[in-house]
Amino acid sequence: MQWFDALVQGILLGGMYAQYALGMALMFGVMRIVNISHGDLVILLSLIGISMATAWGLAPVSVLIILVPLAVLMGWVLQKAVLNRVVGSDPLPSLIATFGLSIALQNLMLQIWSANSRSLPGHGIESQSIEIGGIYIGLLPLIVLAVATGLTWGVDLMLKHTRFGRALRAASADVEAASMTGINPRAVYALATAVAVGILGFAAVFQSLRSTVAPADGPAQLIYAFEAVIIGGMGAVWGAFLGSMVLGIAQAIGFRIDPGFGVLAGHLVFLIVLATRPQGLFGKAST
Amino acid sequence: MTAVLSTHGLVARYGDFQALYGVDTELHPGEAVALIGANGAGKSTFLRSIMGLLPVAREMVLLDGEPVGGTATDRMVQKGIAIVPEGRRLFTGMSVEDNLRVAIDQAARVGAKGGWSLSRLHQLFPILKEKARAQVQSLSGGQQQMVAIGRALLCQPRVLLCDEISLGLAPKVIREIYAALPEIRAAGTAMIVVEQDVGLAQSASDRLYCMLEGRVTLTGRSSDVTREQIGKAYFGAGHAVV
Amino acid sequence: MSAIPFATTEAPAVQVQRQTGSGRIAMTLAVLGVVAVAAMPWWASTGTIRSILVLCCYIAVAQMWNLLAGYAGLVSVGQQAFMGAAGYALFVLAQTFGINPFLAVFLSLLVPAVLAVPIYFLLHRLDGPYFSIGTWVVAEVFRLVCSNLPIVNAGAGMSLRVMKDYSAFERNVAMSLLCAAMLLLTVGGSYWLLRSRYGLALIAMRDNPVAAASQGVNVARLRFLIYVASAVGCGLAGAIYFMAQLRITPGSAFDPMWANVAIFIVMVGGIGSIEGVLIGALIFFIADRWFGEYGATYFVVLGLMTLLVALYARTGIWGLISKRWDAPWFPIRRKLVDPNRQ
Repeated sequence: MQWFDALVQGILLGGMYAQYALGMALMFGVMRIVNISHGDLVILLSLIGISMATAWGLAPVSVLIILVPLAVLMGWVLQKAVLNRVVGSDPLPSLIATFGLSIALQNLMLQIWSANSRSLPGHGIESQSIEIGGIYIGLLPLIVLAVATGLTWGVDLMLKHTRFGRALRAASADVEAASMTGINPRAVYALATAVAVGILGFAAVFQSLRSTVAPADGPAQLIYAFEAVIIGGMGAVWGAFLGSMVLGIAQAIGFRIDPGFGVLAGHLVFLIVLATRPQGLFGKAST
Repeated sequence: MTAVLSTHGLVARYGDFQALYGVDTELHPGEAVALIGANGAGKSTFLRSIMGLLPVAREMVLLDGEPVGGTATDRMVQKGIAIVPEGRRLFTGMSVEDNLRVAIDQAARVGAKGGWSLSRLHQLFPILKEKARAQVQSLSGGQQQMVAIGRALLCQPRVLLCDEISLGLAPKVIREIYAALPEIRAAGTAMIVVEQDVGLAQSASDRLYCMLEGRVTLTGRSSDVTREQIGKAYFGAGHAVV
Repeated sequence: MSAIPFATTEAPAVQVQRQTGSGRIAMTLAVLGVVAVAAMPWWASTGTIRSILVLCCYIAVAQMWNLLAGYAGLVSVGQQAFMGAAGYALFVLAQTFGINPFLAVFLSLLVPAVLAVPIYFLLHRLDGPYFSIGTWVVAEVFRLVCSNLPIVNAGAGMSLRVMKDYSAFERNVAMSLLCAAMLLLTVGGSYWLLRSRYGLALIAMRDNPVAAASQGVNVARLRFLIYVASAVGCGLAGAIYFMAQLRITPGSAFDPMWANVAIFIVMVGGIGSIEGVLIGALIFFIADRWFGEYGATYFVVLGLMTLLVALYARTGIWGLISKRWDAPWFPIRRKLVDPNRQ
């Protein structure tokens, strides 16, 4: 029963990680860019949300309604101002640029908010739980999982059935041919990043509800997102989701074995997948 | 008749390497013009320059008399020029129908008017209907070429640029594809067809240009030009090699 | 049919010129510099020696990152893994096993060398940016493992108390010599490498790996060797740094700060050139001395500078300079010179 409990906790944790991984998979799948400041953006949004909630006494839902559009705007600006200049076959400039941005963001947050950990006032939702089949599951983690599933499903549908989604897939398959078909790659990329960071708006609210956030926490979230994407299979949206589940379960089981072992267990599972099945558990083997 | 598309002293470079040394051409409405020449003559570069894939000076390419040289590729598509690129460049990982839908989407987005629709395309190339859901990379070369042509047509172009559409295809398939060109012309689309097979190029066009090493070495009506003239222009007898 | 006569030709009498005027000047200065470093106990205070030691470590780590990213095309943000690994190895060998600490510095290099092999094989299949984060994960794994490993005293860290057996002067001499050795090995070694046959292969690989492979360069093997060499170089810097610190903890051993500094130095100075590393290190050192006290704001500026360089000046300061003036300090080109035409 203990292990089953760990499994359930792991899946719920995976719901959190999926919200990080989804945006990263989208950006890498489309533009072959990894935004090193991905994790820092979540923390920035969280801290903004917490400040707003404390200053104006907002409920989490209100914070969410404000943060998501803000995040969409941030993503759009990020692409237009920074990433559009470094899209291309050479990965170095985008890596270094987003790396520099990450350092700048972390320290800027440190300056503005100091190193203290904070969390979002949840007005009790963090402690509510419901009983399913004899075990008690936290209401918040369940909501996180449900939102993650909904977001993944939504992004998947968008990619498959909307004009924007088709344009995105075309641009990721062959950007020159896409422009020959009338697609403006820069505009499409900007929207893709806006969506990717917009999803982080959700992640920001949930992360600051379920746990504390501090300016230096960004890199850890980046690594979890990255591990989830790799475990699941590079670039695929549902792959990122399932990879997040695997990572969450690995960490939860590791935590059960020893509280200091949780994160390390996740790293080890990641390394094992990398060693034995580098295309990811759900990815196709590359020829 | 004024030209719908014309180039004037078109010069193009890849970094330090100059590929085009001042190319003058004209395309009139409803016309089919062939562009022939050996490998490396600059034919593909010429088409890519028109599409804005290479930086060129504005006055070097005129569309309806308007200088458009160097305009971004997607804007050129909006202005009414579409290209069937060399090597087809289909969107792998997407179905045939999705490949075509991308073009439909973009044409709808900018409000392009034209007669090409999915059903009309299915009449032109019935295989596209049959294989609509298939992944585009699973099609044969000839079928892929049809998808590429269809994708370009769905951009509702006034000018269609075809870059080596016979490359790598069996003779029977080439005939099938070239048989569709007159219908495309009849719909009012002017064409520039880059083609390695000289006989095919002559029979499919009203006029032709021959290029060598980045320059036009021959131009004339396809029915009037002799094999001997083409041979000289193609290989460069009497042409100074830089 | 008669045979076409074959015209005999002689090879033209040319010389291969490999050194330039600017190179000779720079080489003289460099040799003087290394000697000055080795002679520090006789002209510098202990505090100055510590500062210069840290500067030399920055130069070494940056040059190793430069080799990796600028030539092998591998962008690592986890070289601190090898620094900490060698640092810990040093402490364990010297403190726990009682081996002469100065000997232990060189012995400790075995650890990063051995670790680099499986790490490379794990990570090298990852696509560009994913490779980078992968190196970071590895550094994190090392940190977490050391935080729980009894042999390195887990989270409490270790102290190098054996150094008390030596006088301050002896320690300074050792530190200075080790610094000089580190500069020779990392910067000098890189220069030697670039001037050798492997250098040609490296530059070819930097400019165009596919073309290089088609010319017979074993790109995969060369990348692997560079990765191991870079690990060892970083390990050396780590061992020396922590020996001077006298204390090591998992947090300081595997501090991502090293990656930040290396990237800043190389990108601002100029990637793919030794000159760039020296320029960048000097800039960073001065900035650190003057502005380090401003803490977080200072790092914001560093981060922004890295971002701006990546966007607008990818070749860094040396790249901009060398576009105007062709006067390399460490020339690696071979020029064919016809003596008759001079």
